[in-house]
Amino acid sequence: MTTLTDRYVDATLRRLPANQRPDIERELRSSIADAVDDRIGAGDDAESAESTVLTGLGDPAKLAASYSNQPLHLIGPELFTDYIRILKTLLTTVVPIVAVVVAFVQIAEEANFGKILGSTIGAGMTTAVNIVAWLTVVFAVVERTGARWTPTRQWTPADLPALPTRRARYGELIAESVATVVFSVFILLSPSLGVETDGVRNQALDPWLWDTGVVYAFVALLVAALAFSFARHYSGVRVPVEIIGGLVRIAPSAMLIWLAATDHVLNPALIQALAVPEDAVRWTGVGIMIGAALTLIFTVIDSIRRVSRRG
Amino acid sequence: MLACLLILHEANYGYALLEVLEQHGFTVDANTLYPLLRRLEKQGLLISDWNTDESRPRKFYRTSPEGTALAQTLTEDWDSLHSAFRSLKGQS
Repeated sequence: MTTLTDRYVDATLRRLPANQRPDIERELRSSIADAVDDRIGAGDDAESAESTVLTGLGDPAKLAASYSNQPLHLIGPELFTDYIRILKTLLTTVVPIVAVVVAFVQIAEEANFGKILGSTIGAGMTTAVNIVAWLTVVFAVVERTGARWTPTRQWTPADLPALPTRRARYGELIAESVATVVFSVFILLSPSLGVETDGVRNQALDPWLWDTGVVYAFVALLVAALAFSFARHYSGVRVPVEIIGGLVRIAPSAMLIWLAATDHVLNPALIQALAVPEDAVRWTGVGIMIGAALTLIFTVIDSIRRVSRRG
Repeated sequence: MLACLLILHEANYGYALLEVLEQHGFTVDANTLYPLLRRLEKQGLLISDWNTDESRPRKFYRTSPEGTALAQTLTEDWDSLHSAFRSLKGQS
C-alpha cells in the first residue's frame, strides 16, 4: 500500500461514521487495488496508475458524502419557499422597527444628527444580518434532522394576492405628488409669508433651518420618498426596494421628530414677538412629534402590508 | 440501479461489476457505483459476503429475494415506458 492510497482512504473515512469505517475501508482498498492492477496490466507504471485511479474516484469529500447520504445543500427544495417567505416577512418588519427604536433612543439622548444616522444604520444592518444568519441556521438544522416540517396551513387559491386596480394606485400616486409638491413649496416659500407684529416681519419656521440647509435636506427626503413611490408604482413590489423605500419614507417623519425635540421648528423670534406662553410652545412641539410618530408608524405598517400582500 | 439488480443475480464484487456493466453498455463512475451498492444493500435489495479465498479479500454482492422482486416490478415499468415511447413515435 503506497501513501497516496492511504491518504485518499483516510480522507474519505474521516468523514464517515465510525461504525461504517472498517467495512468501507476494506472494500475501497480492494477496489482501488483492483483498478490499479488493471491499469498496470494495461501498461501504466505503478505511480501513474494509482494517480489515475484516485483521480477517477474524485474528491474524497464527495465520495464520503455519497456514501453517507448526507444532503449536499444547506436548505433543500422542500423547505426553501417557506424559508424565503419567513425571511422576507421578518426583514421587512423587524428591521424598520429596530431602526426606528434606535433612532428614538438616540434622539432622546440628544445626540447629533450624524450619530443618530450612524447608529440607526448600524443597528438596522446588524439586525438584518442576525435575522438572516439565525433563520438559515434553524432551517439548515431542520433539513438535517429530517424533522417533518408541516407548513402552518395548506396553500389554497384563496391565498392569492389581490391585484390592486391600476387606476386606484395611480390616483394615490397623483395625490401623493400633489401633496408633496404643495407641502415642499409651502415650506420653501414660508420665509416670505411671515407674520407681521409691531412692524417686524418674522417668518414662521426657524431660520436656523435655512442657515444649516436642513430645510433643503428635509425637502430632498420628501422628494426622494415621492420618487420611491413612483418607482414602486412602475416596477412593482420588490423586497430590497421596499426596505430602502421604507427607510426613505420614514426619514422625513424621523427628521421632523428630531427637529421638534431640538426646538428647531418654529422661529424663536416669532414666538417672542407673539408672546406665546412657553407651555404652548412646548405642547406644539410635542404635538408635532406625536403627529410625526404616528405618520412613521403608519408608514411602517403600510410597508408591511404591501409586502405581505404580495406574498 | 435496475442494471445492478439484474446483473447481480450472479454474485460479483465492486470492481469486476464495473467492467461487466461497461460490457453491457452501462458506463458508470466508480464513485457512483460503490456507494450505490452499499445503499442497495442497506435497503435489503442486495446481500453481501466477504470472500477471503484469494490473497485480497473482496466483498461480493448478490441480489436478494426482495431485490429480485423489485427488479421484476422495475422491468415491467420499463417495458410499459418503452411501449409508450414507441406509440408516441408511431403517432408522430
